[in-house]
Amino acid sequence: MTGRRAPRGAESGADDFDLFAEAAPVARGASVEASVEIARDTGPDAYPGETAQSAVAVSLLTQTARDVIEGAFIPLWVRGEISDFKSHRNGHWYFCLRDSTAQIRCVVWKRDQRGIPAAPDDGMQVAAFGRLTVYAARGEMQYAVTKMEAEGDGLRRKALDITRARLEADGLLALERKRALPRFPRVVAVVTSPDGAALHDIVAVFRRRRSSVRVVVVPAAVQGENAPDELCAALDRVNRWGGADVVIIGRGGGSREDLWAFNHERVARAVAACHVPIISAVGHEIDISICDLVADHRAPTPSAAAEAATPSADELLGELREVSLRMSSATRSTLRVQADRLRHAGRDLSGAAGAQLSGRQNRLESIAGRLHTLSPLATLSRGYAVARGEGGATLGSMSAFRDGMRFELIVRDGTIPARVDGSPRESQP
Amino acid sequence: MTFEERLTRLEEIASNLEGDVDLARALALFEEGIEMLRTAAAELDAAELRVQKLIERADGTFEVESRD
Repeated sequence: MTGRRAPRGAESGADDFDLFAEAAPVARGASVEASVEIARDTGPDAYPGETAQSAVAVSLLTQTARDVIEGAFIPLWVRGEISDFKSHRNGHWYFCLRDSTAQIRCVVWKRDQRGIPAAPDDGMQVAAFGRLTVYAARGEMQYAVTKMEAEGDGLRRKALDITRARLEADGLLALERKRALPRFPRVVAVVTSPDGAALHDIVAVFRRRRSSVRVVVVPAAVQGENAPDELCAALDRVNRWGGADVVIIGRGGGSREDLWAFNHERVARAVAACHVPIISAVGHEIDISICDLVADHRAPTPSAAAEAATPSADELLGELREVSLRMSSATRSTLRVQADRLRHAGRDLSGAAGAQLSGRQNRLESIAGRLHTLSPLATLSRGYAVARGEGGATLGSMSAFRDGMRFELIVRDGTIPARVDGSPRESQP
Repeated sequence: MTFEERLTRLEEIASNLEGDVDLARALALFEEGIEMLRTAAAELDAAELRVQKLIERADGTFEVESRD
């Protein structure tokens, strides 16, 4: 039963053409023969239509033909060229599928069009999955199609072009629309499959970077027939809930068909309607979806989305060091100026005024001491190292070094034992 | 005070200290800054990740359920 081998979701166009190239439709002829047998056994005039007097109505003929044909064929993939395509007012699609010697009339009912990326164009080579029936009103055979793929992925490419153009016309792809991501989100909503690789990767990145954040998973199917609806519903839920500072929508890598939900126009519009900034992360680097184009930020992978969503603890620590450096060096220079002034003033004064001044000087000195303990931290964070000799004395000048002498280098995150190799040289002015 | 507010205040303090400021004011700012640095750094150390799930009840209200 070759027809049954036709894959349900059909992964790639090329394979499908090979797969059923040799397949012959398998008619289950048994029911036709059986009805003929019965006719012979029951004698003359025993069944309607045997004589002119018992002639059956046309509708009974076509109805019977339909029953026989529908019973005789299992659903199949059929390949051919599209011609006479029409999208009728009633929403159904009509066309012919033909090869060099034959053609069959086809219909795609409106309700079945969801499974087809875009309407085919005349001249397209396609494979169509459906079942053979009889259209009684015309007494014609008709192929009722529910799935279709075009050579070279033509239908999907057409669907992408159409969707992109429609979103563009509504201004949803405009760069001015893109919102900046919040620097310090407290709540990150993640719209994805609760069991998927994407969620796992996102949580792993937050954990590794020690991000202080609440991840709220908003579950949705990310592939299959229900995925577009579930993704839209999940985004709507995020909006109505109102608790997220930023949203990540996405999934891990997969086939083009697996990722297809993120190319649906209604999913893209739901992304555009998100109340807070949204990051799209669909598949791997090379996969670009319509959602990516509409989102405020496109991340190449779910992991990258997590990195874009929150700063790492190290990054923030770096900023704290930076600000502490600025504070201490600014305060130090203020102190230096003030201390000089005090010293000058102290020489000219005596008694109570002098004591008060020296009290202030003591306070200055204690602050300066704290500055001193603070400053190496800030300096080291910028990539400098401090050399320390035996007993912990800071080696601040070339005169403190001798050839072969052992010392320690203190850097931001540790201590390195070192030794002088050669004679110290004075730096060139 | 959030981490973000602390960082903003620290930037402000640093800018003030770098400007023309009298000694008493400089010392007060410096003390405030040191205290704030200490709190902010401790906050980073205590960073906590929580993973939860959004659940919509039948009446359209929401519940956030812990997932760990």
